[in-house]
Amino acid sequence: MNLVGTLYVTALAGCAVAALAALTAPARARLPLTGWCTAVAGAVGAAAGVAALSGGVSAGVSAGVSPGGPAGGSGPSWSAWLPDLLPLAGVRLAIDPLGGVFVAVTGLVTVCAAIYGIGYCAHGLDGRLFQAVLPLFVAALLLVPAAASVSTFLLTWELMAVTSLLLVLAEHRRRAEVGRAGLWYAVMTHLGLVAILAGLVAFAAGAAGESFAELRAAELPPGAATVVFLATAAGFASKAGIVPLHVWLPRAHPEAPSHVSALMSAAMVNLGAYGIIRVGLDLLGGGPAWWWLLVLAAGALSALYGILQAAVTSDLKRLLGYSTTENLGLVLVGVGAAGFFAVSDLPVPAALALAAALLHVVNHAAFKTVLFLSAGSVLHATGTRDLDALGGLRTRLPYTTAVFAVGALCASALPPGNAFVSEWLLLQSLIHALPGAGVAGAVTMPLAVGVIALSAGLAVATFVKAFGVGFLARPRSAEAEAARESPPPMLAAMTFAAVGCVVLALAPTLVVPALGRAVGVVFPGRDVVSGELTLRLAGVSGMISPLLIAAALVIAVVAVLGLVRLTAARRARRAARLWDCGAGPMSARMEYTATSFAEPLQRVFDDVLAPESDVDVTPMKESAYLVERVRFQARVPDRIEHRLYDPLIAAAAAVGNRARALATGSVHRYLGYGFWALTGALLVLVALW
Amino acid sequence: MTDALYVQALYLACGAFLLTGVLVLWRRELSAIVRLFTLQGVALTALVVVLGLWQGELELVLVGAGVGALRAGLLPYLMRRALVAGGAGRETQPLVNVATSLLVAAVLAMLAYAVSQPLIRLSPTPATQAVPVALTVLLIGFFVLVTRKRALSHVVGFLLMDNAITAAAFLTTSGVPLVVELGISLDVLLAVLVLQVLTTRMRAAFGGTDLDELRELHD
Repeated sequence: MNLVGTLYVTALAGCAVAALAALTAPARARLPLTGWCTAVAGAVGAAAGVAALSGGVSAGVSAGVSPGGPAGGSGPSWSAWLPDLLPLAGVRLAIDPLGGVFVAVTGLVTVCAAIYGIGYCAHGLDGRLFQAVLPLFVAALLLVPAAASVSTFLLTWELMAVTSLLLVLAEHRRRAEVGRAGLWYAVMTHLGLVAILAGLVAFAAGAAGESFAELRAAELPPGAATVVFLATAAGFASKAGIVPLHVWLPRAHPEAPSHVSALMSAAMVNLGAYGIIRVGLDLLGGGPAWWWLLVLAAGALSALYGILQAAVTSDLKRLLGYSTTENLGLVLVGVGAAGFFAVSDLPVPAALALAAALLHVVNHAAFKTVLFLSAGSVLHATGTRDLDALGGLRTRLPYTTAVFAVGALCASALPPGNAFVSEWLLLQSLIHALPGAGVAGAVTMPLAVGVIALSAGLAVATFVKAFGVGFLARPRSAEAEAARESPPPMLAAMTFAAVGCVVLALAPTLVVPALGRAVGVVFPGRDVVSGELTLRLAGVSGMISPLLIAAALVIAVVAVLGLVRLTAARRARRAARLWDCGAGPMSARMEYTATSFAEPLQRVFDDVLAPESDVDVTPMKESAYLVERVRFQARVPDRIEHRLYDPLIAAAAAVGNRARALATGSVHRYLGYGFWALTGALLVLVALW
Repeated sequence: MTDALYVQALYLACGAFLLTGVLVLWRRELSAIVRLFTLQGVALTALVVVLGLWQGELELVLVGAGVGALRAGLLPYLMRRALVAGGAGRETQPLVNVATSLLVAAVLAMLAYAVSQPLIRLSPTPATQAVPVALTVLLIGFFVLVTRKRALSHVVGFLLMDNAITAAAFLTTSGVPLVVELGISLDVLLAVLVLQVLTTRMRAAFGGTDLDELRELHD
């Protein structure tokens, strides 16, 4: 067994040890023991992923030698075939650089989440079951990108779905919404599983066998390939939270414990994108252009819809959940563009777009971990997620505030944040494809550029709102007033994640060449970027140096501050009360809230969001002109859910209610159903044969 | 054993098997129904033994003896005990009256005959040609289960179906392996024991074994 295999198996064993420790350790030792075991397992898993990325056959080297077939770029760094582990099919594992990216991301997120959990779970979440399921969830997350046959993939996928469902339901005794969120999640994830199952099984039926190597070699007829692609893409899109299959995401992420939200949002949803890349680009080897335009369109729609909903919501974790939809949408824009360029015979932009998508996966994982963990810290300190009730946390939670600021900066796609780099790469790939992409490309690419730009702009507004309203100004409620900083393990995990963000933001050159090797799995024989300090794109002109940008920014800020200090020092300062229109001292109720901050945006996008507002005026008994009470209620429901899912659910409920008449409780009636069904079947048999 | 004698004996056993099945629909006395079931067990035993003798396999004869001990001995004994333990001795009001039941049995027999034609065409031996009999008894057993109200009638209906399945298995294959037959028989015995316990409990709880009274148990 080579290095990758050893590390990977050690990581899985670490997860098993952590689960066992959670079940057997005494209550006092349980949290630290399980947490550290899981963290170590995550770290080792991340090392395995990194080793797979760096150890794989370099795509650049194989450029001249490889014949350029769809799978000829680089073989798996490690593979295992365990025929006896499961009946019938056995277990087949293989880690290639593409899977390695996702294994590494999962591992690093796990390190943060596990350490964070030691502090976060101390109150009420330290039960045996919850603590044992978390390492299992991590193991499933590590297994999915390494699965190399249909049965293994489906099994690990289901394991991931079930364990994550148990984790989402952890706090169901405290809040009723948790149960509802769990129901939505369970239904959506299992419908997704059914779609993936149908697609992959059909694929395996058309191929010589069920291992991925055999699927790669299979030649499906175009119709069957389309069915396989659409079914699997729908399933994977539901896991990735892509509109219109996103409905579970803004419910389940807020209701799960925060470190579970981080794991789900930063590691689990990525696997949806992984599935589309693996099945669509790798196993099916491309396909017609419209597949990829569909993926691109779904991604663009998700990016816009997700960030719009995030901009107007005032629940902190729900906002982050919608932001996940947005970012996975951007990833799918990259994946769709890559597939489209590959079909249009533009290998350079194709590789670039896929690298951008993978880089965005990494970046999103980094900043979403930071954001969810710090949101959890806020929740831990104040007990509320409602931005309208927060505020003034800067002085009370200084570390959390600093960490959240880093995350918010990264998430808003502005330099020097890390999302800026990946979105820049994505834009470069779209722009450089334009001359050769044909009419469809000429129409689609500018639109995609527009969507990315608009979503970046809205992301800025969203995170300015989240940070400004949530952390600055004065506290808007007694809970926010009484907030206390979180325990050290939580702070340590948050800091670690924030450092990861900063490293990614300043030195993407450390990561992008390795991602190039992952791209080599799908589009062999091409280097994507080069350069140590500056990212230079290979094959097209374009370069960026985040480090220099950051340095220039720092110099500019220092210069401006110095200039202000110089000019301001000349005038005399005097302290005076702020003018308040004579309405008495300024109170926290006069502050901007999250709702009021988002109001202009809500007005601009009124037609899309369709907000509902309700004014309820109660007059005095004596006169209709004297008002006793005015009640105003405004909410922005998820319009897609309202239009698409509510009628479906209502129809299902109606059918169920009507079917109730069938089951009256009479045993004879039930037996009669069986009898009539049997004789009916026999009659049909007689009539047809 | 000559060919002619084998066919005669086989069809006699099958005829008795079918007749006892149909008569279960006709009689209302629970004790008579149990007696008919015993007779059917004897017919089934005879059927298996004849097949065993014809094929010259001692194992099959022994299996036949085991089937007989269970279906003509132990199961009727258990049912008679349940009958003695109390309760009304008559199937007072079946959901479908006796005359109609007999007509339905005729229709079911025709259906079974039509359905089993493809099976017979596969290998037209005297044994497979008797398969419609087994299928008819299966459908009749199901019909008893659907239309009779007493718990004991239900048990008989269930056992009729099981007898029919056993008969079909022996008629279509050249001998069921001992292990399989043992497994099925133990299952049936267990089911009857469970049903007997259930019947006793029902009588203790409701004072009768009319299954329709269970309706109140649903939510």
